[in-house]
Amino acid sequence: MTAIVKQALLTFLLLMLSSLAVFAAIRLSGGDVTAARLPASATAEDRELFREQIGLNKPILVQYVNYLGKVVRGDLGNSLTNNAKISSLATEKIKNSLILGGAAIVMVFGVGIPLGMLAASRRNTWLDASISSVSVAGMAVPNFWLALLVVWLFSSTLGWFPSAGQGGFKYLVLPSLVLAAEGIALTVRMTRSAMLENLSQDFVRTLRASGLSESRIYFKHVLRNSLLPIISLAGLRVGQIVGYALVVETIFGWPGVGQILVNGVLRRDYPIVQFFSLVLVVVVILGNLAASAGYVLANPRLRK
Amino acid sequence: MFRRALENKQLVAGLALGTVVLLLGIIGPFIFGDYAKQSLSMTHKPVGTPGFMFGTDGLGRDLAARVTFGIRISLIVAVSVTAIAVIAGTLVGLIAGYVKGAVDTVISSSIDFVWGFPLILVAVLAAASIGSGLVPVILAVGMVNTVAIARVVRGEVLGISEREFVVAAKSGGYSTPRIVIRHIVPNIIPVVLVLSSYYVAVAIIAEASLSFVGLGAQPPLPSLGQMVSDGRNFLRLNHWEATIPGGIIFAMVLSVSLIGDGLRDLLDPRLRTAVERAVNK
Amino acid sequence: MITEAPLLDIKDLSVGLCAKNVAYDIVRNVGLTINHNEILALVGESGCGKSVTALSILQLQMSPPLFITSGSIVYDGRDLTKLSKSEMRSVRGSEIAMIFQDPMSSLDPMFTVGALLTSAAYAHQSVGKDVAEKMALEALADAGIEDPERRFNEYPFQLSGGVSQRVMIALALVNKPKLLIADEPTTALDVTVQAQILDRLKELSKNRGMSIMLITHNLGVVASVADRMAVMYAGEVVEMGAVSDVFDKPQHPYTTGLLGAVPRLGGAASDLTPISGRVPQPDELPIGCAFVDRCSRALVQCSTIRPILQVRGRAEVRCHNPVG
Repeated sequence: MTAIVKQALLTFLLLMLSSLAVFAAIRLSGGDVTAARLPASATAEDRELFREQIGLNKPILVQYVNYLGKVVRGDLGNSLTNNAKISSLATEKIKNSLILGGAAIVMVFGVGIPLGMLAASRRNTWLDASISSVSVAGMAVPNFWLALLVVWLFSSTLGWFPSAGQGGFKYLVLPSLVLAAEGIALTVRMTRSAMLENLSQDFVRTLRASGLSESRIYFKHVLRNSLLPIISLAGLRVGQIVGYALVVETIFGWPGVGQILVNGVLRRDYPIVQFFSLVLVVVVILGNLAASAGYVLANPRLRK
Repeated sequence: MFRRALENKQLVAGLALGTVVLLLGIIGPFIFGDYAKQSLSMTHKPVGTPGFMFGTDGLGRDLAARVTFGIRISLIVAVSVTAIAVIAGTLVGLIAGYVKGAVDTVISSSIDFVWGFPLILVAVLAAASIGSGLVPVILAVGMVNTVAIARVVRGEVLGISEREFVVAAKSGGYSTPRIVIRHIVPNIIPVVLVLSSYYVAVAIIAEASLSFVGLGAQPPLPSLGQMVSDGRNFLRLNHWEATIPGGIIFAMVLSVSLIGDGLRDLLDPRLRTAVERAVNK
Repeated sequence: MITEAPLLDIKDLSVGLCAKNVAYDIVRNVGLTINHNEILALVGESGCGKSVTALSILQLQMSPPLFITSGSIVYDGRDLTKLSKSEMRSVRGSEIAMIFQDPMSSLDPMFTVGALLTSAAYAHQSVGKDVAEKMALEALADAGIEDPERRFNEYPFQLSGGVSQRVMIALALVNKPKLLIADEPTTALDVTVQAQILDRLKELSKNRGMSIMLITHNLGVVASVADRMAVMYAGEVVEMGAVSDVFDKPQHPYTTGLLGAVPRLGGAASDLTPISGRVPQPDELPIGCAFVDRCSRALVQCSTIRPILQVRGRAEVRCHNPVG
C-alpha cells in the first residue's frame, strides 16, 4: 500500500507543477489582456500601469500563489467575454462534462471488453473479422468526421437523435458515442489479443486438466488475466477522452468544460482558459492516479 | 523477407491506399491549380461539375485544389513532427536506457510528467500561449510524441542491455558508442519503425482536429480539418465539402495504421504459428 | 497367474498433425497398457511423441492442429476417444489427472493456491466451502507441503519451483484420481528437489493405490521409480516391458544405444557410446523401420518392411533383428 501513498504524493506534486506550468504559459503570453481590457488608444505607459495594478509584473510564482489563494476562496475571476463570474459557470460546466465523459468511459469498457471477448472466442470467423476491421477503422476515423457522419445519419436522415444541445438522455447518446469510439476500438483490440494470448498459456491447460468447464475457464480465469493490461492502460483512456471532449463538445454544442475552453482560447479569454485548463489537467492527473491504483489492486504481484 | 511482406495483406492494402493519397498530394496541386482562387458565381457546387472535379466550397474555391494541397500540409506536418519526435525520442530513450542511474531517473520523471497528457489538450494550451497556427501544433504534437517514443525506446534498451551479447561486449572493453551503434540500435529499429507509423497517424488526426476547432493552420491555407469545419454548416446543401476532406483524412490515417500493423506482424519474431507450438511440445 | 484387466489400455493410437500444407502422423500406432497400482515410464528423446501421446489420453492436445486419427484409449470400460465433451470433462481431474513440466507457468497467476484447489474440487463434487477447503489442505499435505494453511493463501509467484510442482501435484490429487499422468514433472527443477518429488510420487502411488504414467527422457529416473517402461522412437513404441528386464537385457538396438549412452558412476568417459545420426523428422520417415539409418544391426527388410510390436522373451519389441 505504500506504493499507492507514494503515488498519491507524487501525483499531488505533479498537480502543482502542471498547474504552475499552465498558469505560467498563459500568463506569460498575457500581453493581450491589456488589449482586451483597455481601449486601443491606451499608451504604453497606461498599459504598464494597468499591469502593475493587476499584478502582472510580479514574479510568476508570486502570481501563481495569489491565484491559488483566490481559487481556494472561490474567486475565480471573470470571463473577459461577458464579464460573467467564472465561479458560477464552473459547477454547471464541470457537471456536464462529467456526465458526458462518464458515459463515454462506461461505453469504452462496457462495450469494448465484451466485444473483444466475443471476437476472441470466435477467432477467425467472419464475426471476428468484422469486429476487428471495424475497430481498426474506428481507430483511424478522425472523431470530428465521425461526429458529422453520425449526425448526418442518425439525426438529419433518420431523426432518431437530436444533433446538438443538451436536455435529456437522448441528447447524450450521439456525443458520448463519438467520444467513446476510439476508446472502444482500442479496448476491443486489446481485449481480443489479451484473451487470445492467455488462452494459449500453460495455466489454461492445467485448468482443463482439472476438469473445469470451458466457459468457467474463459470467463473466470482467462478474463481475469486479460483485464490486467486493459486496466494498466485505463489512465490513457481517461486522458484520451478528456482530449477528444474538446472537439466533441464543440461539435455537439455540449455545454461542458471542453467547449468553454476552446471558445476561450479562440477569443483569448484568459481567465476562462486559465481556470478550465486547470480543471482538465486535474482530471487527467487524477484519472491516471485512479487507474494506477486500480492496477495495483488488480495485480496480486503488486498487492503484496 | 520481401515475399513475406507481399503476403501481408494489411501492409499491401496500407501501402496501396497510402500511395494513392500520396500521389494525390504531390501531383494534385499541379493539376488543379490555385487553392485560394475564389469564384463567387460558382459556390457550393457538387462533385462532377465541369471544371471542378470535386466541386467547390462556399467561396467558390476548387475543392480538388484545396484538398490536394491540404494533403500536403497534413503530411508535411505529420512526417516532420514524427521525424523530430523519433530522432529526439530515440536519443533520449537510448541514453536513459543505456546509461541508467541518475540520468535515467531524471529523464524518466520528466517523461512520466508529460506522459499521460492528451495531445489535444497540450496543443490547445500551446495555442493559448503562443497563438493559433501550425507552430503550436508542431510543438505540442512533437513534444508529446517525443516523450512517448522515448518511453518505449527506454524500455526496449533496458531489456536489451541485460542480454548476454551486450554484457559480453561490455566486458570485452568495447567503447560505449560502438556497443550502442552496433548492437543496440539494430535491435530497436523494428520497434521504432512500428511506433513511427502509429505516431504519424496520431499526428495527422491531431493536426486535423485542431484545425477543425480553429486552432492550427490558418486561412487561406487549406487544412483538411478546417475544411470539414467549414463544410459542416452546408451538409444539406453540398455535403461533399465536408465529406471529401474528412474521407481523405480517414484514408490517410487508415493507410498509415495498416502499414504499421503490417510492419509489426512482419517484424515480430515472437509470432509463432499454432503448428510450431503444437509440434514443439 | 491372474491378470486383472489393465487400468488404461491404449490400442493402435495414431495422432496426426493437420495444418495448412502438412499432414503427417506424430504418434504412430502406439499400444500401451497401464495396470492398477503400477508406475509405467514412457521414455524417449524430445520429439518422439511421448508428450503428445500422454496429452491425447485426456484430449488435452491442441486440436487443431493435432487430431487423433485412429485407435482407442480404453479406461474403465470406456473408450475415451469417443466421449462427449462433458463426459471427458468429468474424467479429467477426477479419474485421471495430469501434471506438467513447467510448474511456474502452469498455475493461474491471478488466483491463490487455495482458490485453484477448491475450484478443482467444485468442478467434480458438489461440496460446501468448508469441505472443499479441507480437501484442498489435505491434498497439499499429501503432496508434501509443510505449511498447507500458509500456502493456501499464497499466489503462484510467491512459490519456488519445487513448491509449485507440489501444488500441481496437490491439484491433481484433490479428487483422488486412479491414474496420474506426469509429463516430465522434474525436468525443470533442481536436482535435489527432483529426487524428493519423485520419492513423493512413488509413495503416493503405493499409499493410494494410484497408478502413474511417468513421461521422462531420463533413464536414471526410470530405474529408480518405475515398474514397467515403454521406449518410444519417432512416434512408435519400440520396446516395452518390466524395467528390470529391459535394463538387464535390452532387445531393441535403440534401447541398447540409449543404455549405452548413460554415464555410470565408476565408468570411464570412453565407455559412453552415442548413437550416430539423428532422429528423422515426422515428414521424412522411411517406409520400413524408422531406426534403420542409425542401426548397426539393420537387415535388408528393415528398409522396406515396418516391423510390428511383438512379444519376445519377457518384453515386447518392434524389430526385425533384436539383440540377444
